[in-house]
Order: sequence, then C-alpha cells, then structure tokens
Amino acid sequence: MENILLLSHPALGGLATLSALWVFVDTLNVREATMSRIKNVSLLCAVLMWLTYFLGGYYYLVYYAADKAIIKAGPWAFGHGFFMETKEHVFLMLLLLATLLPIVTAGDLFNNKGSRKVALWVAGLIVPLSLSMEGSGAVISIAVKVGLLFKGQGG
Amino acid sequence: MENTGIGKFAKSFGISFAITSILSALLVVLKESNEETVLAWMASITGHHWVTHGIFDLIIFAGLGWALSKLDSGQGLNISANALVIVIVSAIVVSEVIITGFYI
Repeated sequence: MENILLLSHPALGGLATLSALWVFVDTLNVREATMSRIKNVSLLCAVLMWLTYFLGGYYYLVYYAADKAIIKAGPWAFGHGFFMETKEHVFLMLLLLATLLPIVTAGDLFNNKGSRKVALWVAGLIVPLSLSMEGSGAVISIAVKVGLLFKGQGG
Repeated sequence: MENTGIGKFAKSFGISFAITSILSALLVVLKESNEETVLAWMASITGHHWVTHGIFDLIIFAGLGWALSKLDSGQGLNISANALVIVIVSAIVVSEVIITGFYI
C-alpha cells in the first residue's frame, strides 16, 4: 500500500505540473474558442495538486517516520534535515498557488490583457516550484537508499 | 480597445495568496524555533503540526481572499495586473528564502 502511495504522489504531481504548463502555453495562444479549455485544465491542475497533497500527506503522516529514522542515521541526513523539511512547507505554498490558478483563469483571458498576464505568471510559477518538489522527492528517496546501504554495511 | 482590468476574485485571492505565503513561512520559523511551546501546541490541535499548519494556511487564504473581495462596496481591491504579479512573485521569492534559509 505504501509503495503505491509513494508512486502516486510524484506521478500526480507530474501531471499537475504538465497541466500548469498546458495552461501557460494555451494562454500564450488564447482564442475565444480555447478559453473554456484553459479553465478546465486550470481546474484539473488544482484538483491534481490537491490529490498530490492528500496522498503525499497521508504517506508522510503514516509511513514516513521509518524513512526519517533511516535517513537521519545515514550519511545523507540532509535528505530530511533540508530537503524534506523544505519540501513539506514549500508544498503548502504551491498548493495555494495551484488553487489560485482556476480563480485567475475564470476571467476573460482573450479580451483582457491583465487577466492573461496574471494567469501566465501563476501557471508559469507553478512549473518550477513543482519541479523543485519532484527533485526534492528524488533526493529524499536516494537518502533512504543510501541510509539502508549504510546500515547494511554495519554503519 | 482591449480591457486591461482583472477580476475581483483574482485580485483578492492573489493578494491573499501572497500574504498567506509569507505568514506560512514565518510560522515555519516560529514553530521550529519553539518546539516545546508553539510546535507542541500545533501538534496537540490535530495530532501533527504540519496538518495544523496546512489548515491555518487554508483558513487564512480563504478568509482573507473572501474579505478582500468585499472591500469597496463589493468591488474588491483596486490593484493593477502588473502590481498583482509583482506582489505574487515577491511573496514566493521571500517565502522561499525564509524557508530554505531557515533549514540551510
């Protein structure tokens, strides 16, 4: 069960990132006919980010304590001390930013330059923030692996 | 001529996002620097400080966004798109610096 959770969390996060990228590119080339699609994909991005939050949060609360102990006892203790601590708190900001996306794309993006600019920035900021979360998750996973190898070698 | 105004909810929730992000980052410093008091109190509310932190963020974001949209007789905030973008980007940068700076 925990491995499914662990895989679903970054997979859904990756799909949320792609949705934000989709909104960014679609907004750059917005036409009246594409506005409803932008609204729908914005909403999809927010929903995927919330699912990412709930699945990752559940894993963090229920299963992560064992991983944390392994990481902290191993040579990559920064995997928890910096990457996990930063990730769990920056993600809260990313979640709100993804929630803001369908709110800003609810306006008339085709006829309204201001709404278009805000939508581009919000969608554009979600992408690097999400990628930094994916990268941090990768470091945390490797930190567990390094910790287990260290433990196996009698460390 | 193209309209350059932005919707009242985009403005109010955009500003709310910026304020919530910075408050959330400051709360990280506050709770982690006071584990016996603030962090323990937050953990006692929901069972885990991170859950309480998330709920705090959501309440501030939703409540502030809703309240700001009611300003000026329901017209919402008077802010340009450029200013809103600057506020949002600045809040993200400042919050990131506070959080990553604290854990380095």
